[in-house]
Amino acid sequence: MNEEKKIIRYDALVVGGGIAGGEAALNLANSGYRVLLVEKQRSLGGKMILLSKVFPTLDCSACITTPKVSEIARHRNITIFTESEVTGIVKRSENNFVAQITKKPRYVHVEDCTACQLCEQACPVSVRDEYQYGLIGRKAAFIPFSIANPKAAAIDIENCTLCGACEKVCPTQCIDFTMEPEQYELHARTVVIATGFKLFDPLEIPRYGYGQYKNVITSMQMEREIAPTRPFNTILRPGDGKVPDKIAYILCAGSRDASVGNPICSQICCMYSIKQAQLLMGALPMADVTIYYINIRSFGKGFEEFYQQAKGMGVTFVKGKVGTIKEKENGNLILRYEDIGEGVVKEAEHDMVVLSVGVKSNPDAGKIFPQGTLKLDPHRFVTQTDLMGSPARTSIDGVFVAGTAAAPMDIPDSILSAGSASSEAISYIIQHQEA
Amino acid sequence: MASKINPRFSEELKRYGSVNFNACYNCGNCTAVCSLSSPDNSFPREMVRLSALGLEDELKQSLKPWECYYCGECTTQCPQTANPGELMMSLRRWLTAQYDWTGLSGLLYRSLAFTIAALLLVAAGVLFFARTFGFDVATLLHAGHRFEMLAIATVFLVIFIPNLLRMWHFTIVKQKVRTPMMSYITALPELFINMFTQRKAKDCDEKDNFRWLEHLVLVFAYLSLLFTTVFLNWFGTGSLFIIVLGYVESFLISVITVHFVSGRIRQNKSLNKFSQPSDWLFVIWLLLMGLTAFLVRLFIDLNILENNIWMYILHLTVLAQWALIIVPFGKWTHFLYRSFAHYFARIRSLQKS
Repeated sequence: MNEEKKIIRYDALVVGGGIAGGEAALNLANSGYRVLLVEKQRSLGGKMILLSKVFPTLDCSACITTPKVSEIARHRNITIFTESEVTGIVKRSENNFVAQITKKPRYVHVEDCTACQLCEQACPVSVRDEYQYGLIGRKAAFIPFSIANPKAAAIDIENCTLCGACEKVCPTQCIDFTMEPEQYELHARTVVIATGFKLFDPLEIPRYGYGQYKNVITSMQMEREIAPTRPFNTILRPGDGKVPDKIAYILCAGSRDASVGNPICSQICCMYSIKQAQLLMGALPMADVTIYYINIRSFGKGFEEFYQQAKGMGVTFVKGKVGTIKEKENGNLILRYEDIGEGVVKEAEHDMVVLSVGVKSNPDAGKIFPQGTLKLDPHRFVTQTDLMGSPARTSIDGVFVAGTAAAPMDIPDSILSAGSASSEAISYIIQHQEA
Repeated sequence: MASKINPRFSEELKRYGSVNFNACYNCGNCTAVCSLSSPDNSFPREMVRLSALGLEDELKQSLKPWECYYCGECTTQCPQTANPGELMMSLRRWLTAQYDWTGLSGLLYRSLAFTIAALLLVAAGVLFFARTFGFDVATLLHAGHRFEMLAIATVFLVIFIPNLLRMWHFTIVKQKVRTPMMSYITALPELFINMFTQRKAKDCDEKDNFRWLEHLVLVFAYLSLLFTTVFLNWFGTGSLFIIVLGYVESFLISVITVHFVSGRIRQNKSLNKFSQPSDWLFVIWLLLMGLTAFLVRLFIDLNILENNIWMYILHLTVLAQWALIIVPFGKWTHFLYRSFAHYFARIRSLQKS
């Protein structure tokens, strides 16, 4: 292990390279400040880069994210650390935040990799592809996904058998198993937290049978199935590869549900489910799509129209939370629910069920600072200490929050929030210049 | 018919033990997870809704609270912690009070002080009664036996029959159910099957039938002990068969009620989490009944009752409190109302078809 710690200095540290962190970094960099953007994953773009289209405009999500990510990656004022983690930030003075950063080895020299994928073909190891949310497999030497940035191979050392096949075929000899974790001590004048959110884990609701019934999937898995970089090039149910024609959405799977410890609304599930339903009507014109809901919360600009449009397209909306799911022998699913409109308990058969999983806080946000110094709200989101006056502010002066690290929100709100955080950060740097 | 809304109904229901039902956001999850809910008979959400609106007449006319056997699944899975299971329980208490023409049921459910006063009054009555007989064992045993018979007949004629008629009036007459007289006979099996087997409770928890079995054994032990003491004169008999029978029955009652009490103390199921005084009273007095009856017969067999007359007076006190308070006005009545609710529901369904 490389013990020596490199000391680096930047104007701003942005933790998280999703759409909020990327936007904040870009704003800071365009204003002339030098930014270190630290991302835990192997690619920038967060969850947005993996989405199909965005509501309510139905713009292609990848087509918005990819140019933005390229701009961030090529910006002269931005340095990117992927596969890296920030811990133990201490505020030494008003303009000196000291952070410990661990950069994990990728075992590939990114600058030399041409993304030719020969290593991927040579690698004998197959594991589930986390970027396709487990729908298909990938190799242990692999390019995370086709529009990843940096677009370079990486070695999944956890699953690698160290057979050396990838090394032999690599035309640029960029694979290097001698790489070791690197430690950095960063000095920055301000910090933006954009650690994003975690999706609710539906295994916490055993009565929905996720993980047990093969044709019950999450909304993120469906998102992958309809995205441009999708795994199957059509919509298939995972149990037997059949094209489904009776799809159900279960809203509030893990949101507004105190029984799983998450009583708050996730704000995005109604709309992304309506969006997916519309896309499915396009992809599978003969399919029936039914959305089971408690309340449809179409509160944003253009949202109600978007909801009405889905109704007009023939999406069925049923008021009632699904209580239980049972699997039939042919893989179809029986949903039991109370039709609130009639006050009658009913059962309905669908051949595929999508759980519209909610937004949970990312526990990583709490690990960046020593225990207790950064205040979190009861749901473990970063506390916005001046929500009405200055929503990017946190309990530590000079540390700002952007996007879903603060609360569940949609993409436009995340970008707005990043704008607020970056301008607050710039203003903070200017106010605390060294004499 | 115009519906009358009582905005203060939730306060009223709170006194019968309801918790947090106004948190309900009408998702219907409770109805969907309930194993007894069916397309023809969907609950408990409808009951939560009626309670939140304070639609007392609709509630009074409903039989649904009696359909619930409280497995607690709705409460465990409720996303709003609105506790629909406990609401159904509270509605059963409230309905019991509505059916009771004397109004004493309601007083006992709502006021612990009144309950204690009533128990003390009855205890004082028993002591006074024993004193007038000069604490003589033979006379007391005889009088106790007479009292038991008299109490059963009176409670039936004066309390139960009018109350069941009121229940019938609310749920059949006011609902304008029109069925031929024959349906009262064709529906009778429903009454007796539910009264003696609690068949539907078996469907309540698909995985675990133990609770149902325990309750069933308790019901039979209790009813047969009643029969053994009243009609077979257990305390006065010389028949070995009857003596042993009584021992077995009272032993079973004691063991099962001890298990029930400990469950309520440990709060091991959602059914056991919110015990009201009426629940404690019912199960503890049942335990005391079994235990003291067992001991009285034991004292007789050991020939020591003569010198320990207090044992019989204790038993008589428990018996009198049971027969005069808990049976006519307390939780005991669920035995009748629940069975009759199934009976009336059957009659109602005969009208539809």
